[in-house]
Amino acid sequence: MPDLGLDVLFKGINMQRLLGGLWVSLRISLIAIAISIFLGLVVGWLMTRKNIVIKAVTRVYLEIVRIMPQMVLLFIVFFGTTRLFGWNIDAELSSVIVFSFWGVAEMSDLVRSALISIPKHQYESAYALGMSEGQTYLSVIIPQTFRRLIPLAINLITRMIKTTSLVMMIGVVEVLKVGQQIIEANRKASPNAAFGVYLTVFVLYFIVCWPISMFSKRLEKKWS
Amino acid sequence: MNWEVIQSYLPLYEKAALLTLKIGWLGIAFSIVLGFVCAIIRHYKVPVLHRIVGIYIELFRNTPLLIQLFFLYFGLPKIGISIDAEVCGVLGLTLLGGAYMAESFRSGLESIEPIQTESAMSLGMSRLQTIWHVILPQAISSSVPAFVANIIFLLKETSVFSAISLMDLMFTAKDLIGLYSKTIECLAMLVVFYLLILLPVSIIGSIVEKKLRFAGFGE
Amino acid sequence: MKKIIRKIAAITLAAVVAAALLAGYAFAADDVVYRTVDEIKESGTINIGVFSDKSPFGYVDEYGEYQGYDVYFAQRLAQDLGVEINYISTEAANRIEYLQTGKVDVILANFTVTEERAQEVDFALPYMNVALGIVSHDDRVIRDLSEIGADDRIIVISGTTAETYLVKNYPDILLQKFDTYAAAKSAFENGTGVCWANDNTEVIAFAIENEGYTVGIESLGSADTIAPAVTKGNESLLNWLNDEIKALGEEKFFHADYEATLAETYGLDYEDTLVVEGGVVAAAE
Repeated sequence: MPDLGLDVLFKGINMQRLLGGLWVSLRISLIAIAISIFLGLVVGWLMTRKNIVIKAVTRVYLEIVRIMPQMVLLFIVFFGTTRLFGWNIDAELSSVIVFSFWGVAEMSDLVRSALISIPKHQYESAYALGMSEGQTYLSVIIPQTFRRLIPLAINLITRMIKTTSLVMMIGVVEVLKVGQQIIEANRKASPNAAFGVYLTVFVLYFIVCWPISMFSKRLEKKWS
Repeated sequence: MNWEVIQSYLPLYEKAALLTLKIGWLGIAFSIVLGFVCAIIRHYKVPVLHRIVGIYIELFRNTPLLIQLFFLYFGLPKIGISIDAEVCGVLGLTLLGGAYMAESFRSGLESIEPIQTESAMSLGMSRLQTIWHVILPQAISSSVPAFVANIIFLLKETSVFSAISLMDLMFTAKDLIGLYSKTIECLAMLVVFYLLILLPVSIIGSIVEKKLRFAGFGE
Repeated sequence: MKKIIRKIAAITLAAVVAAALLAGYAFAADDVVYRTVDEIKESGTINIGVFSDKSPFGYVDEYGEYQGYDVYFAQRLAQDLGVEINYISTEAANRIEYLQTGKVDVILANFTVTEERAQEVDFALPYMNVALGIVSHDDRVIRDLSEIGADDRIIVISGTTAETYLVKNYPDILLQKFDTYAAAKSAFENGTGVCWANDNTEVIAFAIENEGYTVGIESLGSADTIAPAVTKGNESLLNWLNDEIKALGEEKFFHADYEATLAETYGLDYEDTLVVEGGVVAAAE
């Protein structure tokens, strides 16, 4: 049995520190997810409207988010806002801002594409049956939209949780950075700590994200 | 903005962009192949393999690329498996992308109602013909938006390669900022280069998306 | 076709917005934000940027506490200011950025004084001597940079003086750059690169603490010093720091710091070579 460097986890309060680090990432993603879901639904619905101004504005917003890596956005918000506006935003808040900015865009795009994926005849048939616009949305369009939306939205949620691992790059001490600190402080006593620690972080993320994915699968099955 | 600075950094950024593109597209090409194979295995429930593929997909969809890379690059050598940074980058992107592509493609396959297969077969088509002429075109077209999103997602994910010392765009920008503190120029060039790489993909992606929307009838 | 045109228009607009933001960013870049000594005292907390993965200068122990030579000094600063410390974990390449955007009040992250950096931040009096050093694996000890082959790579950490020095003086040597100490060391252990160039303090410590490594080059480049840095123009804090360092010299504070944090690694032999007391660098021997 090779030395897997797992012993460092049981030294001092190292395991507790790793979990604490994980909570830092999770807290950031949970706040950002809540904001994203709420605003994403609104913005996504707006995007299917015919209003040209709304269309233009959301398009531009979406394009910016769609093609800029989150890491670039993190750097711009974290270092840029202080320079531009003199706001001193700490690393965690910067992360929440960036992840919400990104999440709302992706979420609204999902909502939009779910809405437009509903064939026109569904609306037409509903109207032909004498339903009002509100009724059509409530009992015909929204239920179908949700079924298409949920798997993708949950995919986005796990993606957001996973992407919070980037916040280490702007100095948030989250699970990965704690992991590095542990490896560093125990380099001599436990030279293989890199294997054990990174494996543990890998498993921790899996434990968090997997149940969420499973939940979405069950929903998907139940509804189809 | 200091244009001289920008000019002097340009070659470095170009080199970095090429690396980003090289690893990005290699990884994406492999992940499309991997994803396609995995999706077929999953959808048609190939014995044994579909379990293994299932575990693989769950593992890699539910962990961040950054951690996967750290584990591959820093962790594995501790048990005697050393992988070169570039190979590690392509491998990491392929494994991550494969899992995502597989799921997108599978949900495309599953969105096709069984009645289509039944109707096609009742028209006298063979199983392969049904898959080729009826199922695949629809599955591909309905998974195109997700595919395009995946490609853009994967290209953006290349920005974490900096963690394993690959001199991609993000790393070059951070490195130059650390060396010469020309933050504004460095960040501006970073944005411009990512725009150059990702804008065409985004544009082509949405054109293809529109062209291939023949699955939804009734429009 | 119309849709494609519209799409391209949207994208162009997106690019323009991005460019405008950046331009605004460029014009506002000269506004520096910092807190004076009084403001720090009033807030009750000082933000100090230290390394969290650079043992024995700045690291975190298994109880989650910051430790090391830099940290020992940081604790004293906070104590004398009568404030709490908020440690901010920095990476080498971020240090200037953190000061310029006011994210930290002081950088105590083993920050070597260089001319280039002095244009961006203000350095207080030094508290440690440093030069560059190169550590290699025992099976191939690099004793001179001329031994580096065309395909060999030297590991450096992005944003360190070792990187600047090699880029400037040996542009043909291939560098393998990492952004954290932890990453660089792990990669070096795993056999990436033929050697690792860094502050000599750091590579000596590494060779002492880990088996199988030899410092082939103990001193490279110019003899430099390490000093606290503050945001450019923050004179109140700079003056306070300078007075503090001078005062600490009276009680041989940095010798005590060395003995508490570094002696375990280096032994006492390096004490007088490394420590700078009262901000006065001893004449070169």
